[in-house]
Amino acid sequence: MAYKPKKIVESLEYNKQWDEWARQGNWSPVGWRWIEGPKGYRLDKLSTTNYLVIQRPHASLYHHSYGMTSKFFKGLLEKKLYGSKCPKCGSIYLPPRAHCWNAECRLEETEWVELPPRGEVHTFSVMAFSATPFLKTLPFIIAYVRVEGCCTTVPTRLLKVNPWDVYPGLKVNINFVEHPKGDIMDIYCTPAETPDPSKRIMSSETIERLKDDMRKVKEWVVRKFGSEAKPSIEI
Amino acid sequence: MSNRVAVVGGGISRFDNPRYELHEEMCAEAVREMLADNSNIDYPKDIDAVIYSYFSDHLAGQLCFHWIIHDYLGLLPKPAYRVESGGATPIDALINAFMYIKSGIFKNVLVVGWEKMSELDTPKVNEFIAAASDTDFDFPVGGYYTGYYAVLETRHMYLYGETEEDLAKIAVKNHNNATFNPYAQWRSQHGTTFITVDDVFKSRLISWPYRALNCAMISDGAACMLLASEETAKKFTDSPVWITGVGLGTDTMRPGDRVDNPMYRGLYSEDESIYPGVSTKTASPYPEMANFGSIRVSGDMAYKMAGIDNPVKQLDFAELFNPYDGVELAEYEDLRFCKRGEGKILVREGVTDWGGELPCQLSGAHTAAGHPVGATSIAQAMQIYWQLTEQTANKWKTKARALSGAQRALLQGHGGTGCQSGVIIFERG
Ligand SMILES: [Zn+2]
Repeated sequence: MAYKPKKIVESLEYNKQWDEWARQGNWSPVGWRWIEGPKGYRLDKLSTTNYLVIQRPHASLYHHSYGMTSKFFKGLLEKKLYGSKCPKCGSIYLPPRAHCWNAECRLEETEWVELPPRGEVHTFSVMAFSATPFLKTLPFIIAYVRVEGCCTTVPTRLLKVNPWDVYPGLKVNINFVEHPKGDIMDIYCTPAETPDPSKRIMSSETIERLKDDMRKVKEWVVRKFGSEAKPSIEI
Repeated sequence: MSNRVAVVGGGISRFDNPRYELHEEMCAEAVREMLADNSNIDYPKDIDAVIYSYFSDHLAGQLCFHWIIHDYLGLLPKPAYRVESGGATPIDALINAFMYIKSGIFKNVLVVGWEKMSELDTPKVNEFIAAASDTDFDFPVGGYYTGYYAVLETRHMYLYGETEEDLAKIAVKNHNNATFNPYAQWRSQHGTTFITVDDVFKSRLISWPYRALNCAMISDGAACMLLASEETAKKFTDSPVWITGVGLGTDTMRPGDRVDNPMYRGLYSEDESIYPGVSTKTASPYPEMANFGSIRVSGDMAYKMAGIDNPVKQLDFAELFNPYDGVELAEYEDLRFCKRGEGKILVREGVTDWGGELPCQLSGAHTAAGHPVGATSIAQAMQIYWQLTEQTANKWKTKARALSGAQRALLQGHGGTGCQSGVIIFERG
C-alpha cells in the first residue's frame, strides 16, 4: 500500500478489491480501429486520410486525507453536521475552513460547532446531463444551501420536490443518508415547508417545457442503464 | 517599461470533434498558417521564447505535453514554459508573453495553445473538467461545470429577471456568427444554416436553465500568436496590433463561497446594493453568486492601463469567454458595458449583435466556434487581430462578419467559475 498511516484508530476493513480497481487498465491498449477521416486546418482545405485509433484504459485509487477539516467528514459518518467558527470574528463556515479568511483575522484557526440541520436554498439547477458516476441518478436537483448561521453555501442534492417548486429562499431540512460513506453526498435536502407557488421563478411555459425535458431524460437514463437507473426526480 | 508590445501574426488549426491529427500536428498547422501569412518571420531564429497553453493532462493522458510540442515545432533549445489556469490558460499565456516582453528579457515570444478533448466520452470529459472544482465539496454532488454555471445563472435570473429567451438569443447570435467562420466546429458539424430561438429550446436540456445550444462545445484544435517588442515589431509587419492594456483578477474556487465574500466587501460600493427598478430582491454584496468579481477586477485593471472609461463607446467589438450563455450576459455587467442587472437590455436591444454598437463573439466563441480549452482565447485573439488588420474578409472568404475601420477590441478569458480572469485590450497601430 502506497499510503502508510501512522496509526489506524478506526476504519473500514481494507478491501484488496480496491487495489484491483486501481490496477485495471494500465495504459495498455485493449483494441484498435483503422479510421478514415478529414485532415486539414480549415474547413475549405480538407482532404481525406486514415488514422489508427487505439482504446487505452486507465484507473487510479487515491488515499485522500481531509486534513484539518476531517472532523466535518467524520461528523457525516456519525450523522452530525459540523461547521467551523472563527473565535475572532464569529464567522461560521460550511463548507468548513480550518483557518478564517477574513482579512482582520490573519488566518486564525477556527473551532468546531454543531450546526442545526436546517437552511435555505440560495440557488439551484435541474441537472439533465452529468458525468460518469452520476448519470444513473439523472434527472436531479442540485441546490446551494445556506445552513442557518453560515456565511457560505454548500452544494447538496435536493429531493422530494418538483423542480418548478424550488426557488431561492425555500426553507429546507438537511438529512443524512442511511449509510454515510464520508463525503458530502452523505447529506441531502428536502423542503421544510410547502413550496409557495407565488414564489416560483419559472413561467408556466418553462414548466411545461421542463416537464417534457424530465420525461425525455428519464427515458434516456432507463434506456441506457435499465433496472440500474435511479432517477432522483419523481413527477 | 515604456516598451510597447505588438501582435505581429499567428494562426489557427480549426476546432472540431474529433480531430484525428495529433496534438503536435495541429499545433504545427497553426504555426504553418502564421509562417505562410508572414514571410518576414525568420523561423525559428526570430523566436526568443515560447509559452505553451493547454489545460488538462487528464484529457490527453500525457504530462509535460509541451516538451513534445516544443521539439516537434523545431524550437529546441529555446526557453519554453507551460501556463495552466483552467479556462484562463490561453489568456494567461498571452498576458505572460506580454510581461516577458515588457521585462526586456525576450523580444519575440510565441504563444502556442491547444487541447484535444475528444479522446474520452462526454461524461468523462465533464468529470475531468470538474476535477478543476473543489473535489471535496462541489465535485461529489455531481453538478459539474454545467451545474455550477447553471446555479450561478439561476441566481442571476432570480435577481434580475432575464429569461430563457434572452439566453437563447445569445445562442442564436453566436451560432449564426460561427456559420461564417471557416475554423468553427458548429459549421463543420451543422453547416451554414442559421438557427432560431426555437432551435435552442428544442435542443437537449443539460442543466436548467441551460440547453445544449447554450453550452460550450467539447473540441479539439490549436492556435498560436506571435508577440513582439516595439523595436522588433516593424521587422515583421507594417500594421502591428498593440496590446495597450492587460488585467488579471481572482475569485473563490467554490461558487458557494461567494454569497458574503469578505474580500469583495467594499470593493465595488456602487454595486453593493441592487439597482432600484432593476431588482427588488435582497442580495449579498457584489458579485454574489450571480456575477463574476474576477472579471470586474481584471477588466478595470485593463481599462485603466488602456485609458478606457466608457467601454461601449471606446471599444469597437469584443470576444468574451462564454462557456454558457448566461456568462456572456453577466460579463456585459462585470465589464461595465452596462449596469449590474441590465445585461438583458443589451441582449434585447441587439447592442452586441452583428451591426450593433458593440458586437460580441463575431467568431461564434465557445458555444459555436468550439472550446479546445488551451487554444480558445488565442484563437479569439487571432480573430481580433484579423479584424483589426482587416484580414477577416480574406481569411473567412466572406465580408459577412468583417468589420471595417475597427480600432480597438477587448478579449476576456477566465477559468473555473470565474476563479481567475484575464482581459487584454488590442489596438491597431
Ligand atoms: Zn475570523
